[in-house]
Amino acid sequence: MSELFLVVVSGIASGAVYGLLGLGLVIIYRATDVVNFALASMATLAVYVALMVVQRGLGVGAAVIAAVLVAVVLGLVVRELVIRPLGTGRLFAALVMTMGVSLIAEAVISDVWGTEPHAFPPLVGGTVTLGSATLATQDLVVIGVSAVAMLAVGYLFTRTTLGSAMRAAAESAATAQIVGVPAQRVARIAWALGLGLAALAAVLYVPRVGLAPTVLAAPLFRAFAGIFLGGLTSMHGAVIGGVAIGVLENLAASYVSANFRDTFVFALTILILLLRPQGLFGTRSFERV
Amino acid sequence: MILTWKVAVRAVLGPVAAVLLVVLVESGLLPGYQAYSVALAATYTILVLSVGLLAGWAGIWSVGHPALFAIGAYTVAYGSAHGWTSEPTVLVAMLLAGGCGAFLGFAGARFSVLYIALLTLAFSLVALEVINRWVDVTGGDQGVPVTDLPSVTGAGSLGAGGPEAVVAAILTAGIVVGIAVLARSTSLRMRMVAAKSHPVVARSVGIAPEAQSALAFGVSGAATGLAGALLGLITGFVSPETFSLTLGINTVAAAVLGGVGAVGGGVFGGIFLAFAPSLAGLLGVDQLILQGALLILALLLLPAGVVPALGSVLRTLLRRVRRPGEPSVVEPPDEPAPAPAAERRTLEVADLGVAFGGLQALEGVSLSVPPGEVLAIIGPNGAGKTTLVNALCGLVSGGRTAGSATFGGVDLLRARATRRRRLGIGRTFQHAEVFTELTVAENLLCTTRWTTPTRRRAVDALLGRIGLAGQGDVQPDQLPFGPQKRLDLGRAVAEQPGLLIMDEPFGGLDAEERRLLAGQIQGLRAAGTSVVVIDHVLEDLFAVADRVVAFDFGRPIGSGAPEEILADDRVRSSYLGTTSAQQPRASTGAEGPPAIALSGVTHRYGGVTALDGVDLAVHPGVVLAVVGANGAGKSTLGQILHGTLSPSSGTRTTDGDVRSSLVPEGRALFRTLSVRENLEVAGYAAGISGRDLRSRIDQAVEWLPERVRTRLSIPAAALSGGEQQLLAIARALIADPRLVVVDEPALGLAPALVDEVYGRITGLAEEGVTVVVLEQLLTRALAVAHEVVVLHEGVVRATGSPDDPDFATRAERAYFGSPVSGGVRAG
Repeated sequence: MSELFLVVVSGIASGAVYGLLGLGLVIIYRATDVVNFALASMATLAVYVALMVVQRGLGVGAAVIAAVLVAVVLGLVVRELVIRPLGTGRLFAALVMTMGVSLIAEAVISDVWGTEPHAFPPLVGGTVTLGSATLATQDLVVIGVSAVAMLAVGYLFTRTTLGSAMRAAAESAATAQIVGVPAQRVARIAWALGLGLAALAAVLYVPRVGLAPTVLAAPLFRAFAGIFLGGLTSMHGAVIGGVAIGVLENLAASYVSANFRDTFVFALTILILLLRPQGLFGTRSFERV
Repeated sequence: MILTWKVAVRAVLGPVAAVLLVVLVESGLLPGYQAYSVALAATYTILVLSVGLLAGWAGIWSVGHPALFAIGAYTVAYGSAHGWTSEPTVLVAMLLAGGCGAFLGFAGARFSVLYIALLTLAFSLVALEVINRWVDVTGGDQGVPVTDLPSVTGAGSLGAGGPEAVVAAILTAGIVVGIAVLARSTSLRMRMVAAKSHPVVARSVGIAPEAQSALAFGVSGAATGLAGALLGLITGFVSPETFSLTLGINTVAAAVLGGVGAVGGGVFGGIFLAFAPSLAGLLGVDQLILQGALLILALLLLPAGVVPALGSVLRTLLRRVRRPGEPSVVEPPDEPAPAPAAERRTLEVADLGVAFGGLQALEGVSLSVPPGEVLAIIGPNGAGKTTLVNALCGLVSGGRTAGSATFGGVDLLRARATRRRRLGIGRTFQHAEVFTELTVAENLLCTTRWTTPTRRRAVDALLGRIGLAGQGDVQPDQLPFGPQKRLDLGRAVAEQPGLLIMDEPFGGLDAEERRLLAGQIQGLRAAGTSVVVIDHVLEDLFAVADRVVAFDFGRPIGSGAPEEILADDRVRSSYLGTTSAQQPRASTGAEGPPAIALSGVTHRYGGVTALDGVDLAVHPGVVLAVVGANGAGKSTLGQILHGTLSPSSGTRTTDGDVRSSLVPEGRALFRTLSVRENLEVAGYAAGISGRDLRSRIDQAVEWLPERVRTRLSIPAAALSGGEQQLLAIARALIADPRLVVVDEPALGLAPALVDEVYGRITGLAEEGVTVVVLEQLLTRALAVAHEVVVLHEGVVRATGSPDDPDFATRAERAYFGSPVSGGVRAG
């Protein structure tokens, strides 16, 4: 029982990271029709900068802030330089474009910092004992910080005027244009928000596995699986899907086969998709004919 | 497939180049390691070609090809370890990879482009995991060697990185390139492109997109399996890092760089992929940075790819050298050659009904069209004409149908959309939805599965009949709109349909083109084809129709010969309206300079003229109604008045800074947002925030009906049609505009609500806001507006005041266009 509890809690902790990444992807996709494949590698680059902050002895808190800021700036630069000139309505060209950005970002990281993994300190060390189970404190911190970030995003989108405008632009870009919603501003805010969430996910995830150039590749793919499950256009779908993938993956690794966890997770995802192509929470509006 | 001379020459280029390379290798002119690089480039060429042609022809973008590539390579390794002979092993590799591809294509056809890309990504990840864990077969991360595979013929063997493998790889790539060139001119490729670029239209000519997608991915997968097998043979060793996701991205990058959909582009991409490491070393930059940067630059600067870009430069140069001047469009012959006889069948519709959710779009429709009759269906916007066409064409997936519709005894309501072509039903589209990525001739060829010489001759004859002789190789988007519509018609009648359904065939055509089209329709009738025509422009219909059925509110309201139907009071009033209640209209002094004035405004969409030389003055504080049938240019005029659309020519002048808001047709609320949020968005857009915004919203809310005022947090989708319309207007008022343009506010509303909405709109004018209403019904416009402008086909045909007793008659004549004169009475 306590083993199952541990597996589930650590699964939720991983899932929270996937959920944050997925949320970032969905926010950017909804506002700009871009599936940002470079989200993970840009966030990783930002964490390397944060590592330099840590090495200066400025503390993990400052490092987290640095990571988020660097990621936001990177995201805005990439959007203005290569995505915006592409124009609108070019879904796949934009995806391929971010793949190119991702290749470059990973190569830059390898060239500057090398491919050897670096240790990155957790926000909080140590363990917590709950009954007979011993949990890493960092896991609980990951869950807590992610939950706060997600709630903040939820507040922004449902309780503020800006949030209304962003949801309006996501529902119908054409109508938003008629009403006069500034499309470029909404796009920039979405990119900044998405990259910020990704950087947060990165600093929460990296202490567990060590910082390497492609450290976020696996979480990104699981975030994709989560979005598959939740539906590309649904924000809470991305979060729920991400957490579900995290828990499933941990359960599969513990009780089915540690060797075939990706196979299990993706096979299940695709099976669900074949039954429900729009995802569990998505709408079919993304299919343009 | 037709083996023209040009195609044959191009097809042997690949094999010939391969033979030359083999001669170079065999003669020792290329040193061993160079020969290996060439063989690697050959296998990558097959890989990139598979990815690029799949993307360009079928519209499927795959980053999962490394997994299929791996299947080929590991199959060879497995075969060599188990003493298999080489040919069957390669065949097994192709079958396995092709089978996986076909499954991905079949499963992915249900998804959009993005989802299928993510699906292939998942496939690639799973394959990598399996490779790393299934150590017995793959050797895990240690890899597995490929030893010699004897040939099944007993003559020699392949593999283990020997020179025979190098030769085999180069020759195979040459043959694959040749086959790809040949495949270009088959119907197969045309049907894939058609299904990709326009799935709905493709269905109407009998092409099922799902089948195309599975077939395309299957063939692409088999070719990639072949490439993987060759890779195993030339390297003599297979290990997992080769098949990383980075290879998938690099392959897509190489395909984009070379040019997707072009065979030459695949070759270029394959060579680039093989030599990128050396090139990066030569330039002294990281290989991944080079590939990423080139990918980004290619997407931004040469979106079509290097090879197609070079090709078009070359063609332009050649054209300049050879013959000056553009190919001219030949007008169709006045007396078109008679169309081949069609099979004679009858369309029977009995008590047909279609409902979407709670909305009954069509109800109790019964009609019969015998062979060789031209039936016209008329009715105002929203009458259910399009729903009827969609029901006949099998495109009402979201609706519930009742009653029956049969053609030659076959139940149309149950038959799939793609079956209609075989049943002998053709269809044309309002906007001439031609396949722009195919040439004119290919647009007609793609309707059948095989391109035979007979078929090609038939298409040539058809091109002559529709006045496009000699234009077969032109891209349709280079043609003006009229010829595009003729091409659309040609595609629909390519196989002598028994029934032709035409959606607004006369729209966007000039007088001469209309005359020709009428002649063509008569020719089809003479050949025994039944024709169902839908249009708003009545005068053209009457030239061709044997019988007219008028629709309103989803049901037929009258039927008869053209002259009778136009004299029918119910039919006339469905267009002109019967609003009896005269709104109290405060006469405003429309003095002073106009708030907005248009002068000589003309607007075109592509080749279609929507507005032609419009002069208009909107005086401050009045209600101006712009009246016209659907397609008259009202919405275009509204957007130009609002300022969001710049006219093609002419000027818009305003009296100082006139803030304007537009309430678009169909209301265009944000349906998932609450009432309050809909208002907030408008405030955000106008740059209003904080207390200012709250007070504006409070004012706007006052304007809304009671039931909405107390329910600001329910989603806009939950409001009734009238409430939605009022909310849309309230949203437009948030910005405190001086001018409000309201597009068809009465559309889809019950009559009582229409009066309420109009009452509030005219109320705005009393508060000093200038209102422009775009309206379909003339009587309603006369009842509510201070000034009325009648648009007919983009031209202002009448302007005046409802107070002028003669104006109603003039306006009615202008509304229907001049030729119809019989029975014009005051509405």
